[in-house]
Amino acid sequence: MARGDAEFVEFARAASARLVHAAFLMTGDHHQAEDAAQTALVRTYASWSRIHDDDAYGYARRTLVNHLVDGWRRPMREYPTDEVPEQRRGDLADDVATRRWLITILGALSPRERAIVVLRYYFDLPEAQVARELSVSVGTVKSTSSRALEKLRTAGPRTVDEEARR
Amino acid sequence: MSELERLRHAMRATERPDAVLDLDSLMREGRRLRTRRRVAGAGAATLATGLAAVVVVVAVGASGPGDPAPTGHPPPVAVAPPPVGVSPWAEKSLGSTPPPTVGRDEPPPKPLGQFVDSGVKHGTDRRIYYFVRVSVDGEPKVSIGLAAGRQAPDGSVTTDILVNDVDGSDRSAGFHQIGYDEGSAAPVPTFGYFVGPAKRIIGTVDGRQVDARVARWSVDKQVLIFWFDPAQLTPGERLDGIIAHDSSGRRL
Repeated sequence: MARGDAEFVEFARAASARLVHAAFLMTGDHHQAEDAAQTALVRTYASWSRIHDDDAYGYARRTLVNHLVDGWRRPMREYPTDEVPEQRRGDLADDVATRRWLITILGALSPRERAIVVLRYYFDLPEAQVARELSVSVGTVKSTSSRALEKLRTAGPRTVDEEARR
Repeated sequence: MSELERLRHAMRATERPDAVLDLDSLMREGRRLRTRRRVAGAGAATLATGLAAVVVVVAVGASGPGDPAPTGHPPPVAVAPPPVGVSPWAEKSLGSTPPPTVGRDEPPPKPLGQFVDSGVKHGTDRRIYYFVRVSVDGEPKVSIGLAAGRQAPDGSVTTDILVNDVDGSDRSAGFHQIGYDEGSAAPVPTFGYFVGPAKRIIGTVDGRQVDARVARWSVDKQVLIFWFDPAQLTPGERLDGIIAHDSSGRRL
């Protein structure tokens, strides 16, 4: 295996879980998330010779998010039959409730709002970088982020209560 | 815990560290994509000279300088041949097609059938679509690929993108590979082909429907070449969906 390939495999193994999860947060669908992460990594590998010395993870993340925002403008789907991995620690009921709450509140957001929320609060990127990665202004990130959080405040507690009663 | 903290916690708590992607598959696809890009670049450089324009799909891995060597099964890749001193492509010169080629030194194949003029202009160049013969290792039922190119007033052709199936049959009923612009010198309107009695092709993007322009392939009337007006569908923008209707409006 060429050195470049070995580096890519190492990178992909380290990054894939996070990319898949980010895609899942944006789509609510595990299969679509895996497809999106796969697509992002395919494009990253296709450009590997010119990016692997730079920020490969950032490249893959940008590709993933733009692919989902621009290419798949579909409504988020819930997944009531989602399975919980056996190796997860903690209370399974809590995990299921948390996952449902998360999907419900993220599902109330538009694709772009979800992208901003995921970039800001999952990847912890500063507003300016979110703006660059989504090719929007910082003002748009701020206003969209604020609007998204307002939706979360509105939707969040009620949903959690409902989950707690289940 | 504030809503924001709860959100952050929930996003991290639901991570699944066991997510595993098929690295062999994605690297195979990545090599194919990389080669397609190389075709577009090499094709433009080669064919802008006014010489014959061809794209040959070969059945061996081809790595350029600085690219990692192929691993596993060699992927189907495409290369543009070096310039050769033959006449420019023209509809009247289209005739028999040489057999599939497997290397850069082979004579280039001619386009199969007539060019389809999209009506889209790039300066003085016309956006055209045309089939070329391809060969994909281990896939005997894949023998054609659809290319997007530009024809200059002097008849010379610049190839931008070639798409072809990499498995199955290139004549199976339904849609085949769709070509999207990937940053070409002249944006390539989204294009592809459908096999079957389709009369109308409709793409969906961002909740709106966009009608494609269509033209039958001169060699096989079952093959409908389609492309989207760049004013209605921005080149490179991915479709959310695509459907075909027959002459009675029935969805195929």
